[in-house]
This record gives sequence, structure tokens and C-alpha cells, in this order.
Amino acid sequence: MSRLKRRLIFYKRSAMLETFNFRIILEYMPLFLSCFLATLWLSGAGLLGALGMGILACGMRIGRFKLLSRIAYVYIESIRSTPLLVQLFFFYFGLPSLGLRMSEAATGILALTLNSGAYMAEIIRAGVQSIPHGQVEAAVSSGLNYFQRMRYVILPQAIGVTLPPMLGQAIVLVKDSALLSLISLPELTRAGQIMTSERFMPAEGFLTSAVFYLVIYYSLKWMTSWSQRRLIYMQP
Amino acid sequence: MKRAKWFIAFLMVVGFATMSLAGTLDEIAQRGELRVACQTQGPPFSFIDKNGKRAGSSIELCEMLAKDMGVKVTFLDFDWDGLIPALLSKKADILAADMTPTIKRAMKIGFTKPFMFTGSVAFVKAGSPIKTIEDARKAGLKAAVLLGSTGETDAKNSFPKAELKSYKGGGPLLIDAVLQGQADFGVNDSSAVIGQMANFPPNSLRVLPDLLSKLPLAFAVRYDSMDLLELVNLFFLNVGLDGRLEQNLNYWVNTLDWKKDH
Repeated sequence: MSRLKRRLIFYKRSAMLETFNFRIILEYMPLFLSCFLATLWLSGAGLLGALGMGILACGMRIGRFKLLSRIAYVYIESIRSTPLLVQLFFFYFGLPSLGLRMSEAATGILALTLNSGAYMAEIIRAGVQSIPHGQVEAAVSSGLNYFQRMRYVILPQAIGVTLPPMLGQAIVLVKDSALLSLISLPELTRAGQIMTSERFMPAEGFLTSAVFYLVIYYSLKWMTSWSQRRLIYMQP
Repeated sequence: MKRAKWFIAFLMVVGFATMSLAGTLDEIAQRGELRVACQTQGPPFSFIDKNGKRAGSSIELCEMLAKDMGVKVTFLDFDWDGLIPALLSKKADILAADMTPTIKRAMKIGFTKPFMFTGSVAFVKAGSPIKTIEDARKAGLKAAVLLGSTGETDAKNSFPKAELKSYKGGGPLLIDAVLQGQADFGVNDSSAVIGQMANFPPNSLRVLPDLLSKLPLAFAVRYDSMDLLELVNLFFLNVGLDGRLEQNLNYWVNTLDWKKDH
């Protein structure tokens, strides 16, 4: 008899846990796994987009041109002042009425990108501006031009400072992706909802979703500490 | 002293026993309140009308029931797929919606005898090339269904090649999705679709002929509330006999008379 079966029978005999709970979860595991992958790729795409959006917005914000700075400021403030769910519904229901029709996945990734992008922009700005001005002065007096300054002096130090909060925002983004279930995207939270509506077992369903989110969280956390150990050489 | 202790213990046992034997009806009577789990987005059965008040066939029936029972009624809102969990977690005493008694659902909650019969239909946007059920059976089409509804199951059975999009919330979301083009057709109860279509521009939707299934509709209670179940069955029998049920259904479901006032 397999070990799993023996363990299930033990649970049944101990009468502390219903076997039914775990059997149902095993039955739904393919659904949870496919939704887990969906969450991974939705969050991943959102993260890449947010990174790009953040760098762009930050560049505009701290750049030389007042107009670009103001545009970036308006964008960042409007994102930070409204809930992600409101933004998501705005894109999902509002864009089609303006004539722009996108798939649910595209809408979801767009909302995640724009939302996290604003927060990323602020994180990057804080990181870049935390580098002591002495570094800039030293670089200038060493004869480096703007791009060389950025590439060899400022950005390597900024990355070391920015990476922890950036990875923190990444974790937030993964949790935010749960809201995408409300625009009927098949992802982890939706898997829990499906199990609730088909089997009326919300506890089992959402517990399983939560466990998968935990897996993602700990992976990201491990990546944070790994990258911090690697980048310790790059501290200012 | 020893006899007193035994006597107190005996009283406690009897007290607990009667407490656990107290049925849901006794609890409701004691509380003076009947808690009903219903939808907000389910015209014509349960919705918020243009005056901001709760209205609908199920709402009216529950108000009648509570009046006859001599208690006040409290309505609690849930999405379609949240109704059964709400009932099971004892947030509500009774579930009043246009829910079909399926065997899967009946494994968890007890249904009353049906108060009306309907069926699933498919509906499309007015200018759609889909004219019949057969057209909708083509591969690659997208079907909007309600998460946890019989429409979802019927769509899986009737349109195996379609890509199903399950929306969480209520029937109007499906109509919205079809009108916006996010789905090629939608599947839901005929009574729900006709009632909800009235809230959208006239002639924007077309219902495909032929029912996909025949469905009874009933209220539901938990299996620990069999006394309440008997009471509601008796209530339906009474309102069936004295004509109030027919009046209710004719106003809300069989015609669009309710649209004038709500």
C-alpha cells in the first residue's frame, strides 16, 4: 500500500481530519497547478512591465524636462491614490466603451503593470537619490560623462539599495494578481472560487490557494536574500 | 450538598439537551428575525431597483413569509456562488433565489419543493451571425456563464467545443460581456435573461429559440433546519392555493410588469 494511502487511512482512523478534505484537494490538483502556472506568468509579465514602466516613469520624473516630470508625477499620484481594484475595473469595463477591446489577460497585465509601475518608479527614485551627491561629484571630477557616471558609479550602487524594496513590491504584485480573478481570469484565487462553487468547500479551496501563494512568497524571499548576498559588494 | 450538585448537573444536562434540540424555527422566533441570503444582481428575483430599494419576486415572497411567521426579515447580499457558502456557514437561515435543486447542491443543502419551472437558454447580441443552437455549437466560440450556476453545467453539456468564461457575480455581467463582445453568446436561466434584458437597451439582445434544459427553481435551507423546510413548503402550498404565488410570478417573472414600478 502506498505511503500516501496509508497516511490517508491514518487520518480517517484518527477521526481528526476528514479524508474527504484531502481527496477533494487531490482531485482538484490539476486545476490548481494550471492556475498556479497562470498566476506565475500573469505576475511575471506584470512584473516585467512594471519594471519597464517604473524605469521609464522614474527617468521622466528625475530628468531634466519639467513637462515629462509633471506627466510622470500625475501618473504616479493617480495610481497611488486609487485602489488597484478600482483601476482594474476601470480598464476592464471602461476601455471597451472607449472602443478599445482587449482580452482579459491583457487587461489584467495592463492594470498590474501600470499599478506596480508607479510604485516601482518611486522605489527607483528613492534608490537613485539616496546615493550621496559626493559620488556624483567624484565621478564628474574624474572625467566621466553622464552615461558613464550612471553605468559605473550611480546605478550599481542604486541597485543594491533598490533591490529589497523592489522585490517587496514584486511580492505585493503577486498578491495583487489575486484580484484578477474578479475579471474571470483563471488564476489561483479563481481556482479556490471554482472549488467553492462546484463542491461548496471554500475552506479547502482557499487554503490550497494560500499554500501556493506561500510557495511563491518564499521563492521570492529566497531570491531577495540570495541577491542581497551577491550584491553586498555593491553597497555604497 | 452532594444531592444539590447532582441536581445542578442534571439541570445543566437538560438545559443543553433542549438547547441542541431547539430547531431553527425556535431560534428564528427567539431572534424575531428571518435572515435571507439573496442576490443583488438577480432581476427579476432579487435586485436593487431604480429607487435604491430591494425588489424582486424572491424578496416579495420572503417578506410575505416573514409576515406570516410574525418576524421581521433581514436580507443579506451575496454573489451567486456565495449564496450556498453563506447558508452553510449559518450567516443566513434561508436561501431565496432562482436556484435549481441539483443533486450536487442537495448533498449540502435541503431544497424546498419548486415554486416555478424555467430552463436554460442561450442569448446573443442582436446583430450576431449565430441564429440557432446549432450555429452556437461551432468550435472556438466563447460562452459567458455564471460561476456556479446550472447555466455553466448546461453550457458544458450543450456546447462542448465552446470556450467557457465564468463570471463571478450575477446574470447582468453575462449580458454585459455579450454586448461588449467579450463573449459570442451567453447561457443562463430563461427567466433571469428576460428579466435582466429589460435593463439594457431594447432589442440589443436576441434569445436563441429552444430551451437547453428544464429547470425547477426552489428556495433552500440547511439540513439542520428541517422544521424551517417544512414551514416553507407549507408556505408555498398556501400561496399557491390562495393565488398570491401566481400573482407574484405573473408580476415579476412571466411578464415585464415590474419594469413600470422598478
